[in-house]
Amino acid sequence: MTEIPKALQEFKPNEASERTELQRRRDRWFRALCLAVGCSSIAILFLLLVSIAYQGSSSLNATFLSASHDPENPERAGMYPSIVGSVILCTLCAIISLPIGVAAAVYLEEFQPKNRWLLRLHGLVQLNIANLAGVPSVVYGLLGLTLFVYMFQLFGKLEQNQVSGIDFWGIQRYYQFVTADDLAVIFVPMDESKESTLRIESPRPAFDTNFNPIDLQIWDPATPQPTDPDVLSRTVRKGDVGALVEIYRWYYFRLPFGPSLLAAALTLSLVILPIIVIASQEALRAVPSSMREASAGMGATRWQTTQQVTLPAALPGVLTGAILAMGRAIGEAAPIFVVLGGNIAKRTGPEHLMDSCVTMPILIFAWADNPVEQYRQLAAAAIIVLVALLLVMNSVAIYLRGRS
Amino acid sequence: MNRGLPIPSALEQKRYRPTGSARRSERVVVALLMACALGTIALSVLIVLMLLRESWSFFSSPNVSLTQFLFGTRWTALEVRDLEKVEFGIWPLLSGTLRVTGIAMLIAWPMGLITAIYLSEFASNRVRKILKPSLEILAGIPTVVFGYFAVLLISPGLQWFSPSFDTFNATSAGIAVGILCLPLVCSLAEDALSAVPTSLREAVYSLGGTRMNTALNVVLPSALSGVISAMLLAFSRALGETMVVALAAGTLATFTLDPRQQSQTMTGFIVEMLKSDLEYGTVQYYSLFGVALALFVITFVMTLLGQLIRRRYREVYQ
Amino acid sequence: MSEPNTNAVNSKNALEAPRILIENFDAWYGDFHALQNVGARIAANQVTALIGPSGCGKSTLLKWMNRMNDLVPSARSGGTMRIGDLDILAPTTDVVALRRVVGMVFQKPNPFPKSIYDNVAFGPRLHFKISQADMDELVEWSLRKAALWDEVKDRLRKPALSLSGGQQQRLCIARTIAIGPEVLLMDEPCSALDPASTAKIEDLIYELRANYTIVIVTHNMQQASRCSDTTLFFLQGKVVESGPTQELFTRPKLKQTEDYVTGKYG
Repeated sequence: MTEIPKALQEFKPNEASERTELQRRRDRWFRALCLAVGCSSIAILFLLLVSIAYQGSSSLNATFLSASHDPENPERAGMYPSIVGSVILCTLCAIISLPIGVAAAVYLEEFQPKNRWLLRLHGLVQLNIANLAGVPSVVYGLLGLTLFVYMFQLFGKLEQNQVSGIDFWGIQRYYQFVTADDLAVIFVPMDESKESTLRIESPRPAFDTNFNPIDLQIWDPATPQPTDPDVLSRTVRKGDVGALVEIYRWYYFRLPFGPSLLAAALTLSLVILPIIVIASQEALRAVPSSMREASAGMGATRWQTTQQVTLPAALPGVLTGAILAMGRAIGEAAPIFVVLGGNIAKRTGPEHLMDSCVTMPILIFAWADNPVEQYRQLAAAAIIVLVALLLVMNSVAIYLRGRS
Repeated sequence: MNRGLPIPSALEQKRYRPTGSARRSERVVVALLMACALGTIALSVLIVLMLLRESWSFFSSPNVSLTQFLFGTRWTALEVRDLEKVEFGIWPLLSGTLRVTGIAMLIAWPMGLITAIYLSEFASNRVRKILKPSLEILAGIPTVVFGYFAVLLISPGLQWFSPSFDTFNATSAGIAVGILCLPLVCSLAEDALSAVPTSLREAVYSLGGTRMNTALNVVLPSALSGVISAMLLAFSRALGETMVVALAAGTLATFTLDPRQQSQTMTGFIVEMLKSDLEYGTVQYYSLFGVALALFVITFVMTLLGQLIRRRYREVYQ
Repeated sequence: MSEPNTNAVNSKNALEAPRILIENFDAWYGDFHALQNVGARIAANQVTALIGPSGCGKSTLLKWMNRMNDLVPSARSGGTMRIGDLDILAPTTDVVALRRVVGMVFQKPNPFPKSIYDNVAFGPRLHFKISQADMDELVEWSLRKAALWDEVKDRLRKPALSLSGGQQQRLCIARTIAIGPEVLLMDEPCSALDPASTAKIEDLIYELRANYTIVIVTHNMQQASRCSDTTLFFLQGKVVESGPTQELFTRPKLKQTEDYVTGKYG
């Protein structure tokens, strides 16, 4: 055996050396530093929420939740359209991106190829998804702007304040007339001529206000007025000019999309797609491989295993990821701003896929950017609503994850 | 075992379902799943194509030169309408972005990292169980909220502290972005620190090390690549942050190092351009795609670097 | 620390002056009573083996000897456990000083992701302020003691994770002895290793006992009989039988002990 080194010879194990004492002092300081910084970073975030709650709580009342934006009078302004808009937009996003995202995750986790080249492609897809998650959302907004709103101008140039493009379905055009007794309105469907007005001369197929077909009567004002009130209610004056009205079904579809709910939903779906893929992958990875082996051992194919065993086991995790991603979608402002613009004047929620739409973050942005002090307070109130909604969503998600 | 028990008819007849149909439908399903996965590649390609195509309309204009774009120090796309006199030099916007991001990282990196160390090495299980989820919930707060915070709280605070601050300035936006990135850094760094096996911590303790020795000499170096990747991801997130800077950083593109001044960032310019009444199709309008392309390239490199480093650290303990 | 005589210490002598004294020791994890009324005298400069079926509490006892159980929030203990004059269990006991005296080698090799040299120098850097030359000397001495020097002397700056499992475990032993402990606790140090590496570690344990008091937990009966002087047999949280290894293996007093050491248990 070699000789004992000097360091160990001088060492007295039972006496705390000066150096150990130093280490311990440093440890205490370091611990205090960590505690202080940790507490203050949490405290800052809470301070933020509390200060906003303080500023906004006075404006938060029933009118605020049920009214729409009022550019003249902040007292009467509210956020109802934006709540409806955000919820509908977020739901649409989930419908579009959840199936695609989960499918991509299943492919990446459960169907890893054996072929060397395919495996390399697999790695590329994986890296690509991680990179997509890092692309700034404003860039997604620009993609949505060119791809969905203008569609590379393939369908003609889209002008501001003027709808153009090709309609597909979900739109009906009528000419609107007032009945002879001036009590009701009837609708005459547009014919092939596509004129913007119609001068009525002869009977045509027509509908009443409830869109039931009626037998239209034409009354020449030169002749005596029919007396039967029932006939009168489906009679129009000869030579009246009917203005064009357009009635949209919720599934109205046209190309290009223009600054519409659908364009915004598709854009946001792209933003949250990588988040959903990554979260679903993690959930699938957490399923123990013994479960998969058990299923495969009984002769199940890989898809059967996935469908019957892996996916159900990973469901809480997938749902957690989905909810967190939807929370991101609800709070995201930049891509919506790029696609829809900053217009907050709309009085209702979106009524069809091609309708414009106001969302909560856009409303908050517009109000916070407004130089009038009262609108800024409204922004704080709107933030309370948005953050409360998000806190509920995220807490549910984290609870779900904790249970799995 | 009961010998008299009759064999169930299903087992006796052994009428198995043919395996062919399962295998055929399997192939269809796999093709569909693969299409979805490859769709994500298509998405990246679309982003790049869109940026190249639209910014080509900008770069191919006779009034724009690439050298001026890359090295110019004046950006007047919004102020000057006369196309002959507009100057497109990216540096004011880029420096604005870097100023805001720099201030943000000055806050988010140290605070996020130290909080992560506290959570993974010092906090008791109960504290961690409360703090980690609340951090994640706070990470979900929309960025526009932080913008509001910057305009209404941080900016007035800074002006009270020193009147030399502009109403809109890089510092207030930077502080807000920093607070915004804090939960991200903390959460990712904590993941990396927790991934270090307990056996290493036990080894330090058994050698008579303190918790600080464990945290700084073993756990942090072991998780370094994960921590660096968390920092890079936060950096790239701050670069692309839009709503906070659109609200708080101001609309003047300045080429300076002074954090008290207005500083329009790349993302801030994109929003401002979309807000302005310049028509789709003018060179000034297309310049926003040139800026977006530059932003995309920078964040892409950052994220890629972060991911590659992260991949390395994952391999160490698996 | 003084170089002890290398003659085998006679066990009767050791029983009179135990290095570690354990009396009426109880341990709990939450409500689970892991160890009940354990008494033992760990003799100096001997190898003491703790054997018994899984879950019998032998690892728990080992982990209390240098308070590694402090890391487990639900762990509690009662009774006496002393090393020399030092009360191991007292809350006021300086665990840093305790762990410098009582080192530990774990089940799975756990080298730090640093170089071989830095792994060994890690502990000394925490506790000593010494010159580079002294440090080099200490590292070489520790690696020689752990019978690893010849294999790694040309690649001290290479990452420790590049070593084989057996080499990693010997590195962990070198790392532990580099801060000059008196007691080495080994928790199934060979369970993750192949037979060749196991044999090397066993030889090492046999040599090291000249300078250290070694307590080893093992599932391997051959290992216990090959390299230990004293054996404690645990069953369901109690020490059922203890004595010189030779005796316990050849003439066990109890039927349960005989069944276990001959592999008939269960």
